[in-house]
Amino acid sequence: MKKKKRTKVVKIFMWIILIAIAVIQIFPLIWLIDFSFASSTEMFTSGLLIIPKKIMFSNYTKAFTDGHFLLYLKNSLLINILAVILVLVASIMAGFACRRMRWKLSGFVKTMLLMGMMIPIHATLLPNYKIYTELGITDTIWALLIPYVAFSLPQGLFLMTSFIESIPIELEEAAVIDGCGIYRIIFQVITPMLKTSIATVSIMTFLNNWNEFMMARIYLSSDKWKTLPFSILDFTGQYSSNYAIQFAVMALTAAPAIIVYIILNKHITKGVAMGAVKG
Amino acid sequence: MKKLYSNKLVIFSLILPGLLLFIFAILAPICLSVYYGFTDYSGMGKYNMIGIENYKNLLHDKVFAISLRNSLFLAIGFICIQHPIAMIIAAVLDKIGGRAESIFRCIYFIPNVISIAVIAKLWSFIYNPNFGLLNNIIKAMGGKGNINWLDEKNAIWSVLLVLIWHGFGWGMLIYYTGIKNIDPTLYEAASIDGASQVQTFLRVTLPLMKPVIQVNVTMAVISALKQMETVYLLTQGGPGNSTQFAANYLYQQGFTAYRYGYGNAIGVIFIIICLIATVALNKVFEDREEAKYRKMERKRDKKNAMQKRMMQNNYKNSVKAVS
Amino acid sequence: MRRIKKVVSTALVAAMAATMLVGCGDSSTSSSSGKKGDDGQVTIKLFSNLTDRKNGQGLVEQTIIDEYMKANPKVKIEVEALDEEAYKTKFKAYSMSGMPDVVSIWGQPAFLDEVVEAGVLAELNPSDYSDYKFVEGSLNGYTYDGKLYGLPRNTDISVFYYNQKMFEDNGWEVPQTYDELLALADKINEKGIVPVAMDGGDGWPLCVYLADVLFKITGKDYSDAVSNAIKTGDFSAPELKQAAQLLKDASDAKLFQNGYDTQDYGAAMNLFTNGQAAMFYMGSWETSMATNQDIAEDIRTNIRVFTMPTVEGGKAAATDISAWNGGGYAVNANSEVKEEAIKFLNYMYQPDKLSKYGWENGVGLSAQDQSSYMTGNETELQKQIVDILSKSTNLSGTPINDQGTSAFKTCIESEIQSVCNGSKSVDDFLSAIGNACK
Repeated sequence: MKKKKRTKVVKIFMWIILIAIAVIQIFPLIWLIDFSFASSTEMFTSGLLIIPKKIMFSNYTKAFTDGHFLLYLKNSLLINILAVILVLVASIMAGFACRRMRWKLSGFVKTMLLMGMMIPIHATLLPNYKIYTELGITDTIWALLIPYVAFSLPQGLFLMTSFIESIPIELEEAAVIDGCGIYRIIFQVITPMLKTSIATVSIMTFLNNWNEFMMARIYLSSDKWKTLPFSILDFTGQYSSNYAIQFAVMALTAAPAIIVYIILNKHITKGVAMGAVKG
Repeated sequence: MKKLYSNKLVIFSLILPGLLLFIFAILAPICLSVYYGFTDYSGMGKYNMIGIENYKNLLHDKVFAISLRNSLFLAIGFICIQHPIAMIIAAVLDKIGGRAESIFRCIYFIPNVISIAVIAKLWSFIYNPNFGLLNNIIKAMGGKGNINWLDEKNAIWSVLLVLIWHGFGWGMLIYYTGIKNIDPTLYEAASIDGASQVQTFLRVTLPLMKPVIQVNVTMAVISALKQMETVYLLTQGGPGNSTQFAANYLYQQGFTAYRYGYGNAIGVIFIIICLIATVALNKVFEDREEAKYRKMERKRDKKNAMQKRMMQNNYKNSVKAVS
Repeated sequence: MRRIKKVVSTALVAAMAATMLVGCGDSSTSSSSGKKGDDGQVTIKLFSNLTDRKNGQGLVEQTIIDEYMKANPKVKIEVEALDEEAYKTKFKAYSMSGMPDVVSIWGQPAFLDEVVEAGVLAELNPSDYSDYKFVEGSLNGYTYDGKLYGLPRNTDISVFYYNQKMFEDNGWEVPQTYDELLALADKINEKGIVPVAMDGGDGWPLCVYLADVLFKITGKDYSDAVSNAIKTGDFSAPELKQAAQLLKDASDAKLFQNGYDTQDYGAAMNLFTNGQAAMFYMGSWETSMATNQDIAEDIRTNIRVFTMPTVEGGKAAATDISAWNGGGYAVNANSEVKEEAIKFLNYMYQPDKLSKYGWENGVGLSAQDQSSYMTGNETELQKQIVDILSKSTNLSGTPINDQGTSAFKTCIESEIQSVCNGSKSVDDFLSAIGNACK
């Protein structure tokens, strides 16, 4: 009887902790959304949350149009999806070559490619800027795509090799007997077996690059390829005197990722867990 | 088969994209950095080779020392504050079960998917001493609420808080995955032995989580070293360089102080430090593991060794369990 | 389906590899400069530090651009605008690689010297501007070795904006001496109001303040005092020490808002425009606050200014004011459309463009004679600023942070935060910025 009571107390205690942490994690976002509907002068209160005198949807319409929301979202999506595809293709190919093919330097090349994981991406900001301007690819999609793919590749390669390892070699043997070439083996036999790891690599790559803005800030100049974080970066100057609109643009920029995350919650959680544990 | 699998041309074509990317986006810039690191290049016009002058200056550069100290501070902060909490929460979450479990898990992870640009701007408002959320909370609880969260003394703690808040879900999730993969029979055995919840956590969960902890510690140190975006938007390394980090510092030197050569020298040292840190951490953990093994073998404590191996196997297949 | 995917992805990889190879062979084109089309179409790229294109100076700039494009249908002007700090960083990045055709610049050694030495900016012909009514001396900052490299847009004065109504309601008086200013801070703080909103998160307004105080101490010797110190790296002169101490005194007297050293431009300005602060220390370019519809009417119509009060024992009179010619424009020397860019630059500076529109929009003072645009309908604030300038007996010249190299500027703008918040002593501060000069 006593023990039961104690476990009940423990249980309540657990719930309190969990809820407290949940509040800490989520309250800043609620605060953000709350004030994004207010007018700018209402910011200066000492209350935690407010009921806006008038709900200002206009904050959002301004944020939407002046923040180039659709254009930047499109750019972000395009660049990230291309980066994911390129990382997948390159990492499967290289992974297969390093794991399955027989050549002397396979170990060396693999280690070299994996070194990329340890290189801090920001250390390449200065020299890469020089290189890209020499080549005339600043302010083009390549200026973002190349470093994004290059710095996501090591992780992708790492995960892919460990997954390719676990595929039974018999499958390939059968394919060879059927007269398949290497490319068909990779893309028709191996790739379909890698479904889960493809999901993992895609999610990790996407999460890594979705938030990136330092390179974008330095390598891009026109609006043409600017990515979503620029909605905010551009906006703080433009509307420096209107906090509510800044809040609206922040909420708007955060929204796509949060919505996608909530919908794909299970897959993303699984992918991250797998990627992190392996990596 | 053998012939097919050792066709040089095919191999070359397979690794070519990866290799090209590596050479073009990682190797070439590093070589260029090494080269410019030996010059007094301002970024434009003519420049001279000045040998290791930049590196000599770097040795005495107080700001660079501060940025490394700050990285260390962050790493310790992650390991001593974020990770224990994340681990405990993961363990508690594991006990709750049901729908609540996945809802909480989802909420904890949300900050992680938000762009750092939003996070940093949002927190600069939260920290605002005049109308920010944090001071308002303190006021609501009866305090004075006039703390300047980003001043020279507090700034680094405030940066740490943002990073902990942002990365909490990630760390939690990895511990959670680890816990999920612990063989439930071990818990049953513990409860038969009459162990309390806390005892079970300390005696069973914690030791079995070691590999996960190692992964997380390594990641914490690396991410502390690589820190840039958040401070760039939140404090710009200030006030007075108190939140300076290597990446931000090299960016400032290269792009705003017209000391491109010096910035590159910082970059080179920065890369070397990151490499050393990663290798060292791996070595440390590896050695410990091996030493442990040998000790165990010597004791012929078969049961323990088995458990350890089992746990490692579990860990390898861990992911299947989370879904 | 799978086959299609495969084809697409292989194609992408191939395309990428190809571009990289092609890119290697073709290194002459720079993407940031404008282009001349075959059909006489010209694209001029303008890089601006005015992000708000709907208010103030940004609106003026945009209006002229639109007019020019209308008058010259074959010319297209593309604008890239970044915030001041981001602008300066990007500008430096551009100066290493290849610049847009027309750029915003600052006529100050810290900004200009290195760029001009590297030959990045186009030389202009001074005789083109003989009837452009530039105020005497305003071109000095843009002249290097006797050659003209840019044109100034504004005459900037550093001022305290204050809320007149708030002052009257509380019986506060505009301070005449520095001691009075600090005493006033106590009185205002008692009311729970911030005395002066200060953008201390960026280092430069603090440096402007320091220069302002220093000018009050040294009077017309200001420029010599600063340039000597920068040349020798020795900042231990008593007047420099006194100026730094006075800045620190202001901070200790809680003249600025709590946490000013971490708040940016917008945050500081909002404190003032929302009635949370009684004063706002900034340049005269913010005069357009008086016409900004986003600011509540009872505040915007009550904004007035005063300049830095005199310092006891200082050599400068009350009418000696801290002023300089700051922002302006220049043309890229290596631009493909250099001639067209200069033509556009000259168009902008025709007296009835930049200067007149600026006047009508109340964006402070231009570097050209504006007396003929006076209509009497200007805001009180604008009249007051003009009055201050016309009555001035002496002007300071470039603020201290902009007189040295970029490395010096970077250093002083971060060190000055440390001395203000007390984590560095005045002596340590002076020796630290001295070291940056060597």
